[in-house]
Amino acid sequence: MSVKAFKLVSAVEREMLMGDKNHINIECIECCGKNLYIGTNDCFIYHFMLDEKVSTSGKITFAATKQLHKYLGFKKPVSELKAASALTRLLVLCDNTITLVNMMNLEPVPSGARIKGAVTFTLNENPVSGDPFCVEVCIISVKRRTIQMFMVFEDRVQIVKEVVTPEQPCAVAVDGYYLCLALTTQYIILNYNTGISQDLFPYCSDEKRPIVKRIGRQEFLLAGPGGLGMFATVDGISQRAPVHWSENVIGAALCFPYVVALDEEFITVHSMLDQQQKQTLPFKEGHILQDFEGKVIVATNKGVYILVPLPLEKQIQDLLASHRVEEALVLAKGARRNIPKEKFQVMYKRILQQAGFIQFAQLQFLEAKELFRSGQLDVRELISLYPFLLPTSSSFIRSHPPLHEYADLNQLTQGDQEKMIKCKQFLMSYLNEVRSTEVANGYKEDIDTALLKLYAEANHESLLDLLVSENFCLLTDSAAWLEKHKKYFALGLLYHYNGQDAAALQLWVQIVDGDIEDSTRSDLYEYVVDFLTFCSDQDLVWKYSEWVLQKNEEVGVQIFTKRPLEEQEKNNMNPDDVISCLNKYPKARIKYLEHLVLERKIEKEKYHTHLAALYLEAILQLKSGTTDNCMETIELLLKLRSLLQKSDLYRIHFILDKIRGTDLHMESAILYGKLEEHEKALHILVHELKDFRAAEEYCIWNSENRDLQYRRRLFHMLLSVYLNPDSSDCALVMAAVDLLNNHAAEFDAALVLQLVPDSWSVQLLSPFLAGAVRQSIHTKRMTQVALGLAQAENLIYKYEKVKHKGAPILLSDKKVCQVCQNPFCEPAFVRYPNGGVVHTHCAANRHQNSNVTPHSSSSSSET
Amino acid sequence: MKKPDGKVVLLGDMNVGKTSLLHRYMERRFQDTVSTVGGAFYLKQWGPYNISIWDTAGREQFHGLGSMYCRGAAAVILTYDVNSLQSLVELEDKFLALTDSASADCIFAIVGNKVDLSDDCASPPDENRPEKAVAGCSSKVRKQVRVEDAIALYKKILKYKMLDEKDVPAAEKMCFETSAKTGYKVDYLFETVFDMVVPIIVRQKAEGPPQTVDITDYKPAKRTKSGCCA
Ligand SMILES: Nc1nc2c(ncn2[C@@H]2O[C@H](COP(=O)(O)OP(=O)(O)O)[C@@H](O)[C@H]2O)c(=O)[nH]1
Ligand SMILES: [Mg+2]
Repeated sequence: MSVKAFKLVSAVEREMLMGDKNHINIECIECCGKNLYIGTNDCFIYHFMLDEKVSTSGKITFAATKQLHKYLGFKKPVSELKAASALTRLLVLCDNTITLVNMMNLEPVPSGARIKGAVTFTLNENPVSGDPFCVEVCIISVKRRTIQMFMVFEDRVQIVKEVVTPEQPCAVAVDGYYLCLALTTQYIILNYNTGISQDLFPYCSDEKRPIVKRIGRQEFLLAGPGGLGMFATVDGISQRAPVHWSENVIGAALCFPYVVALDEEFITVHSMLDQQQKQTLPFKEGHILQDFEGKVIVATNKGVYILVPLPLEKQIQDLLASHRVEEALVLAKGARRNIPKEKFQVMYKRILQQAGFIQFAQLQFLEAKELFRSGQLDVRELISLYPFLLPTSSSFIRSHPPLHEYADLNQLTQGDQEKMIKCKQFLMSYLNEVRSTEVANGYKEDIDTALLKLYAEANHESLLDLLVSENFCLLTDSAAWLEKHKKYFALGLLYHYNGQDAAALQLWVQIVDGDIEDSTRSDLYEYVVDFLTFCSDQDLVWKYSEWVLQKNEEVGVQIFTKRPLEEQEKNNMNPDDVISCLNKYPKARIKYLEHLVLERKIEKEKYHTHLAALYLEAILQLKSGTTDNCMETIELLLKLRSLLQKSDLYRIHFILDKIRGTDLHMESAILYGKLEEHEKALHILVHELKDFRAAEEYCIWNSENRDLQYRRRLFHMLLSVYLNPDSSDCALVMAAVDLLNNHAAEFDAALVLQLVPDSWSVQLLSPFLAGAVRQSIHTKRMTQVALGLAQAENLIYKYEKVKHKGAPILLSDKKVCQVCQNPFCEPAFVRYPNGGVVHTHCAANRHQNSNVTPHSSSSSSET
Repeated sequence: MKKPDGKVVLLGDMNVGKTSLLHRYMERRFQDTVSTVGGAFYLKQWGPYNISIWDTAGREQFHGLGSMYCRGAAAVILTYDVNSLQSLVELEDKFLALTDSASADCIFAIVGNKVDLSDDCASPPDENRPEKAVAGCSSKVRKQVRVEDAIALYKKILKYKMLDEKDVPAAEKMCFETSAKTGYKVDYLFETVFDMVVPIIVRQKAEGPPQTVDITDYKPAKRTKSGCCA
């Protein structure tokens, strides 16, 4: 797996340095801003200016212009160069001595300040002194096992510390007080301030040259066993997994997030983020690899080259282009600290979105969704992949540069229907999830319309749910789509949601009538009835009432009978209009009148009379018919009877006229009863119907809520009818006997005895007589008890009265009225049983104003 | 990068299955691994904490790195192969010394991996004798290392660390037998260890970052020392 992270660009060619003098080699380099210094084995320092040029195609080249070269005057190589730009000094190590020269003209400082006896040196990039005009230099001394720390000023040096190490050091790096040392057999961390040391790991410096490189605050990179690049902090722990170099690595440099290493044949690039090797550049005879303020420079003996990092975004885009999502995201996240926050966020979001589309194209929907979510993708980017889903009115334009390489879903799936369906299912669930979140803000119309289209196309049941709940589906676009997919019922819902009930009804009626086809609902007729029932547009209700009633008058009448209560209260629909509308539909008309009379309990004579007349009409019609509609007739009869009995509003004579001459005896009996013509009624029940039970019940319900006298009168009347001397029907006699024996309490025994024929035996009437006697005795005793109680009560009152009369009441002008606190001026007064004395008028007022009984009035106000 | 709150290190001879165990736990898969070079690590979110788990290289060449990996570790998982007695012996001989740099209250777990290869018909310890080993399950081999051996090693470690048995988790609790291949007891192993690591993290946080522990007053055993007669 490779990434193109760096490009190798030549900076200083051999001709510029040595021409054809082959013995001259580059020993060391230093780069500070644009200044490039090169130290050679023949004791020269060269100074170049490096200019970066970016060609129009974005290609970067470097042009080095030579400024100076200077011979230091020894026969020794220049082994190390370090710039201290704050002091405009270059530190030069040659012949174990560090001299200070001017960065610009390479002249030694006049003071001649120098550090002697240094094998190698390094600068503390995390200085502890805090003096900006001082650099801290750490050397490995020529003295055995000795490290020395110096402070170097513009033109003087000062030793700060000398530390003795347990073994001979061969390489050093510094961070603050911490020295990271490669000793002969191991690496250690040494705090030169406290002297405390910490072993890192063993390493044989005889076999391989150690590498100690500071890579950031308190962290070092070390060459470990087996070609490992080990990371270690000043606390002696490793916080990153090692990178794996080749065994013969010579140098290492850092250019976040990459670790660059040099061996005899290659430059290798590893990522610090996932430890993977990312790039390999062939590079022969390299011997120096260093980074200078982020610029990575490599050199052979003869030439200097720069490793130009490719912009991170370009690298990430390359990774994405080869669908390496994971690595791209790791790299992007790793770049966070190197890029300004706002810029990073914009970039990172975009990368997340792109990564989301890559996962999406591989049908990794879960991953894609998470990436879209975290990348705050404009959902329309996704919708726009699906042909025709975005409404034509949508203002959406895909972001540029594009987030993915696909024109549309057809291209992405290459016509694979199964994939296509999966993608659509994903979009359905995704849109359904986001439509009510803030992700949808600003383009709810686009989302809901797309969702509607997907549902309609897939024949998905949620289509209806979407349309009956709050939604932002655009009318014209959605309507056309629903029509195309023959979702007429849904289309009706859409019209309804948009306040176009007339259009909705028109469609639905067409479906019911079979003019257009849509099997969404088998009960669409009932649905329409229900819809009209709750439809507030009464014109529409009227318009479709005929249609509805023609289909099924009994169901259809609901549009009038089940209207919502609040509308009924405003009484918006005139019952008379409804009734005349229903004239053609007798069953519906009856139902409607029942609704008025029985449910709404409208107390209007005409509805009650009308209903009774309709019942009657229907019954008579059924009876005249040949077919035997027994059940229906009985049902109607019961309803009629119930109405006749319970209602007091209908025109009795009108109905009676209609009933006369029919065999509806029971009903005429009820009507006579209503007219208080009980004899006639009972006569019919007994003689016409011969229904003695009905006659008894008649007496009972006609005397309901009346006094005992009235009831007795009715029962007596019935008895008289039974015992009518004109007829000597034996059955009637038996009925009379039964009546008496079963309802002894409903008769005045004395009157009964007058009526009963003398021929009847006592035996026959014994239950009645026993009952009557018992009743009579009971009454007598009860009366005696009541009398006794009344006498006792009377006695109590008498006693009270006597008691009150007992003591005289003295009234003087010193006494004051308990109510108004004024003295008495007249002899008349009121005295309460508790002894309180008040003015007569005060007592009168008091009785009027309060319900407080005199007994409870206070008596404590006497002086 | 998130900074880990605590560290768990896997130690053991090469090929015992350290990488496979970690891979099984983190990626829920078993696949052929390449020999680990140097070391690798994973971050695991455990409750509110990030625990880093270091996989080390068993190769002799990399033993020197172990000490650094173990520095400040809250738990060390010593891994052997139940079918190789040598791998258990190595734990004591080569790897135990590397744990000297671990946190003073570091916990130890001993894990015998690859139980899927041997017949693990649970048999009482006294029956588990070589002479009876003939009656094994067909293709499988007799385990070379018994749990009792691991328990014995655990107790030796406590001696070595001068820890009192009473102060540390019981040997029976800290000796595991797993199979990275089948996943047997792998989750149980890591979850048990993590649960024990949390109190150590809490304590380390309360005492300040472990990195700043001053090594001059570093006491390898803070707990009561055992083995000393009064
Ligand atoms: N049968 C079996 N093989 C395993 C098991 N764990 C690891 N292996 C195999 O043992 C070999 C070494 O595993 P590895 O994880 O690299 O060991 P490491 O050197 O300790 O990291 C690999 O071939 C694994 O496939 C296990 O539980 N059962
Ligand atoms: Mg491994």
